[in-house]
Amino acid sequence: MNRVMEGAAAVPAEGARAGVADRQGQLAPLMIAPAIAYIVALIGIPFVMAALYSLSDVTTGDPSIDFVGLHNYREVFYDPVFRTALSNTCLFALASQTLVIILSRILASALMQDFRGKWLARFLIMLPWTAPIALGTIGWLWMLDSIFSPFDWLLRRAGLLGAPGVLLGPMPNLYWLGQSGLAMASVVLVHVWRLLPLATVIQMAGLSSISRDLLEAAAVDGATGWRRTLEITIPLTLPIIGIAFLFGIVFTFTDMTVVYVLTRGGPVHTTQVLSTWTFFRGIEGGDLAQGAAISLFLFPVLAGVASLMLRMARRAEVT
Amino acid sequence: MAKKGRKGLTRREFVKAAGLGALAAGVAPGILLPGRSYAQAKDLKILVWSHFVPRFDKEWFDNFARNWGQANGVNVTVDHIGIAEIASRTAAEISAGQGHDLIEWVASPSQFEPSVLDLGDVVSEAEKKFGKQLPLCRRTSYNPNTKKFYSFCHGWTIDPGNYRKSLWEKAGKGSGPTTWEDLITYGGKIKREQGIQLGIGLSQEIDSNMAGRALLWSYDTSDQDEKENIIINNPKTVEAVKYMARLFQEAMVPEVFAWTAVSNNQSLIAGRASYILNSISAYRSAQKEVPEIAKDIYFTPALKGPRGTGWSCEHVIYNYIVPKYSKNADTAKKFLLALVENYDQAMYASELYNSPAFFDTPIPSGNRGYAPVKGARKLRDLHNAWFSDDPFALPGETKGKLLVLKDAEKWSTNVGHPGPANPAVGEIYSTFVIPNMFAGAARGTKPETAVAQAETQIKSIFAKWREKGLVGGTK
Repeated sequence: MNRVMEGAAAVPAEGARAGVADRQGQLAPLMIAPAIAYIVALIGIPFVMAALYSLSDVTTGDPSIDFVGLHNYREVFYDPVFRTALSNTCLFALASQTLVIILSRILASALMQDFRGKWLARFLIMLPWTAPIALGTIGWLWMLDSIFSPFDWLLRRAGLLGAPGVLLGPMPNLYWLGQSGLAMASVVLVHVWRLLPLATVIQMAGLSSISRDLLEAAAVDGATGWRRTLEITIPLTLPIIGIAFLFGIVFTFTDMTVVYVLTRGGPVHTTQVLSTWTFFRGIEGGDLAQGAAISLFLFPVLAGVASLMLRMARRAEVT
Repeated sequence: MAKKGRKGLTRREFVKAAGLGALAAGVAPGILLPGRSYAQAKDLKILVWSHFVPRFDKEWFDNFARNWGQANGVNVTVDHIGIAEIASRTAAEISAGQGHDLIEWVASPSQFEPSVLDLGDVVSEAEKKFGKQLPLCRRTSYNPNTKKFYSFCHGWTIDPGNYRKSLWEKAGKGSGPTTWEDLITYGGKIKREQGIQLGIGLSQEIDSNMAGRALLWSYDTSDQDEKENIIINNPKTVEAVKYMARLFQEAMVPEVFAWTAVSNNQSLIAGRASYILNSISAYRSAQKEVPEIAKDIYFTPALKGPRGTGWSCEHVIYNYIVPKYSKNADTAKKFLLALVENYDQAMYASELYNSPAFFDTPIPSGNRGYAPVKGARKLRDLHNAWFSDDPFALPGETKGKLLVLKDAEKWSTNVGHPGPANPAVGEIYSTFVIPNMFAGAARGTKPETAVAQAETQIKSIFAKWREKGLVGGTK
């Protein structure tokens, strides 16, 4: 505050003509106002509307709001599909992000080394992040197709599928999206594919911030590669790994595209997640109020994750 | 710091410029487009789905709407959206209180009843001019509880069985299946001996919804009765569910759990299905892409259940709504009547995908864009002639393949059968309760349990919409 005052006093010559641009006390709130307006308009108001809707009997065809208390929450909570969707949402987020963190750590280490074609490798690894999620997922839908899957073709060519007595059975296809276990694994796989680049870049940033002297000193003292990783690299990059993990959790938790495009929640709701169930119930089914109630179940988890992210970001900054 | 005469922008100049830019961006539309804030009397904005037969939109509907607008002094705008976006777009426009004057649905839009105009006057006028509306179309646009036509139904699509004749001939049933049991007997045999499964979706998508309902109705059961009471949990439903579990084991593979709206077409054209339930669009695609498969595709009417009942679900049912916010309702209603009047062209441009809601509509005189049909005076005559001798058949293709679809309205019915469509059956449809009930049993859930689970969901959905007064029945 004092610095702001000093700044303002430092331009007495133009004092009479000084505009807002020179009054930092006013300029700061003015500059931040668009961001706040943006957040209020696109996050704050929809959130309040969702909360209002969830306490009402509003439908897509009748936007008038009559309050029904917590009725929608009770209905939603006793719905077995909702419980499946809730557990799937958590499962997909945790499973995919655990894999993402492990794989991104390996990739980041590899990409920190010097080798021929390093830039091409980095470019290729970043590609999934640049593709729109829907487009990428449609690509995966074709790859996992019941009839034309190239994975199935490769497995058949390798003699692992499509003949009596072979490892993966006599059927010509695995039906990736038609069998619960494989469908769930497919959803996790696509989440890993799309979030791996971001996590890798974050981990590379963390790795590059570790002092080379420290690692060289440890090597001189006889620490092996594993020991250096476990006792120096990982502890020092833990805050940034945490940030990558939590970012991924938020992205996966709130994503609707992957499940909607790949499985639409099937077979028999076994890949249903909260965001798709919100859509089917609230928009397609017309029950906007229950849709809102389902979507708000995401809020406490996301609020907790956001709070953790902020704490970790602060820790990372101090480190 | 902020001296004038320096090259580039000072901070102050930047802030001013940015502020002016933002101001201009916000105000400019109001200055440049002042007319936007006023509704123009002779405008008509129409939102329609992108038809499965592309030439329907490109070669006919868009031109028809534009020409009608020119002839009537109306500035017509037609916007097309994908089938999956209709629900969310309609909800957004209704919520915003502005948007298109006419919105076309390909299902019953009954949940929008409180926010749309009663189109009873259009239906009366249409019946006066074009004869009686088909009952299944009426049942998907009229709420008998509120006595309101929440939509105007101008057409529908037949959903027959499509089978590969050569495969069925080898199995000893060249005329194709006539009962659901035939699918197990002969479809199972084809799978065992020829390695080709049949494809009836058990997934969370529209074709699975239609197939599941057709099976229920053919087993003399449904989710509701004609008075909109819930009747799903009864021995006949359990019987139908047991049948589906057997059918899956004998004649299908797990691809049906991942079925999508294009899977029917895809598997039939790829030669990987001996039988599917679909409109003739799969056949039309095959005619263009794999003619030898198309020549092998034949059709069956609704399959019969154990007591001889056979019903098929309409594949697509075209319903226009006029939202209450529309300032051009009268123009919209005139357009709907003109559409029915010219439905001969809609049938032809859709390659017989569209069937009319008003079969007695007279055929307008003059060049209609297709070879005249001798003696045809009404749409019924055209329908009969075209289904007897398909104008889109490939050279050398067997004649009369579509003949079995000529009387399709007798064995086709609406979602909600034997009652009307309503928001409850609509939500059951959108949340895939019926296909999941069948799929659950096919994957090993006890049939009685699968039915009971479906009943729990259906009861909750019905209770909610009954409270809103949009659904009848008490049980």
